[in-house]
Amino acid sequence: MLKNIKYTFLSLFTVFKHLFIKSVTLEYPEKKSNLPENFRGKAVVDGCVKCYTCLKVCPANAIIFKDEQIEIDMKKCIFCGNCAYYCPKKAIRMSHEYELATDNKHDLKLLYDVSNEVKENV
Amino acid sequence: MNNSRLKLNLGPQHPSTHGVLRLVLDLNGEKITACEPDVGYLHRGMEKMAEKLSYIQYLPLVDRIDYLAGFFYSELFCRSIENALEIELSNRIKAIRVMLLELNRIASHLLWIGAFLMDLGAVSPFFYAFRERELILQYFEKISGQRMMNNYFVFGGLRHDIFDLDDVEEILRILPEKIIDYENIITENPIFIQRTAQKGILEASDAINYGITGVNLRTSGFNFDLRKTDKLYDGYEFDTVVLENKDSWGRYKARVLEIKESIKIVAQAVANIKTNTIYEATKIKPVNLTIPEGEYCSEIEAPRGLASCFIISDGNKAPYRLKWRTGSYYAVNLLRKLLVGTYINDAIAIAGSLDIILPEVDK
Repeated sequence: MLKNIKYTFLSLFTVFKHLFIKSVTLEYPEKKSNLPENFRGKAVVDGCVKCYTCLKVCPANAIIFKDEQIEIDMKKCIFCGNCAYYCPKKAIRMSHEYELATDNKHDLKLLYDVSNEVKENV
Repeated sequence: MNNSRLKLNLGPQHPSTHGVLRLVLDLNGEKITACEPDVGYLHRGMEKMAEKLSYIQYLPLVDRIDYLAGFFYSELFCRSIENALEIELSNRIKAIRVMLLELNRIASHLLWIGAFLMDLGAVSPFFYAFRERELILQYFEKISGQRMMNNYFVFGGLRHDIFDLDDVEEILRILPEKIIDYENIITENPIFIQRTAQKGILEASDAINYGITGVNLRTSGFNFDLRKTDKLYDGYEFDTVVLENKDSWGRYKARVLEIKESIKIVAQAVANIKTNTIYEATKIKPVNLTIPEGEYCSEIEAPRGLASCFIISDGNKAPYRLKWRTGSYYAVNLLRKLLVGTYINDAIAIAGSLDIILPEVDK
């Protein structure tokens, strides 16, 4: 009985102690957390040479090549970062942009121009 | 007394079944006379998907088999491929992998402590456990780019080397103090003891018959820890937590003790990383990767029991068949036995204590 009272008070005291500890939560829309350098957000393409490696490594089939353009569908993207990691020219980069919510789903289809350099065998 | 019999649906909307487990209970008054788990609400076809995707395409998806312990499944899949290609990892990569696996185990157990106490109605420990788990997840985000679906291990190595170990040392410094806090709140708390002690008693023989592994088996007094024979853990000193309690309280206690053991392993791994400074990953061409024809199996001690990955390859870009063995699948089946004869009030306290996570069950 005495033991029960002791441990009940110990529990309550431990919880009570936390009233005086600095808050650890972040008030999100006003304050944003610091993103690490290799954070995986929205994909950005610059300097693509059409080697099609990203097509072969994308698990979600989110990447399509249209004539002279590369289309990345962020609705399908699972942010695994395979395309950026295996791109031999480092043309695809995962940016720090993560607030992708939109009311127009066509905004999520990202179109980037492909450079007209000669296609290289990689 | 026919009018006291009732068929009751526990879940899938019940908050303590986490949205995806349905238990059909036969009640006689308040006593459970039969239990039928209904799974499949989270089925994604992980095994079938493997047959359609190349190995490198499938690698990011394996984290999602158990999103609370993604590194373990990455490690398993990578290990199967490494076995097939006969790749030997360098010491630094091994040490980094051990460190990340054990940090992931701590994060997984912390979440379990929080969620289990939340199921029982204690709200504060949930937030305290999540606060410490956040430190670990932020470290994962720093090194891999994402908090849970890390996709950081690759065949024959890691995506890139680790440079910063200060955060891990900070975690190692903070965690032991916080575990004292948890134990003060939970371990000897009379309400917690009344809810969990002598509830859901699992004998070792039943556990083995039902294929239970991991903490649940070790709490029944059976010493089985795959880490002791795992080559990855060679040279690490730690104790296997074996308790004789057999009840829900014991399963809580074992997980707290296991966190302490994991902290020891992480500390040793950090020391190992510091002594092995040369990072050399085996160069393989991951795109269009094929593995030789044959059968490859790998297993690991995951937070929820023994997990294994079995690949049958016919020499093509995708496996002919891929099979996952996950600990929770067997724990769900055990509910058929464990819940019978108990009161409906204890059903959640018992089911929660087995640490069932449904993505692992449904795959």
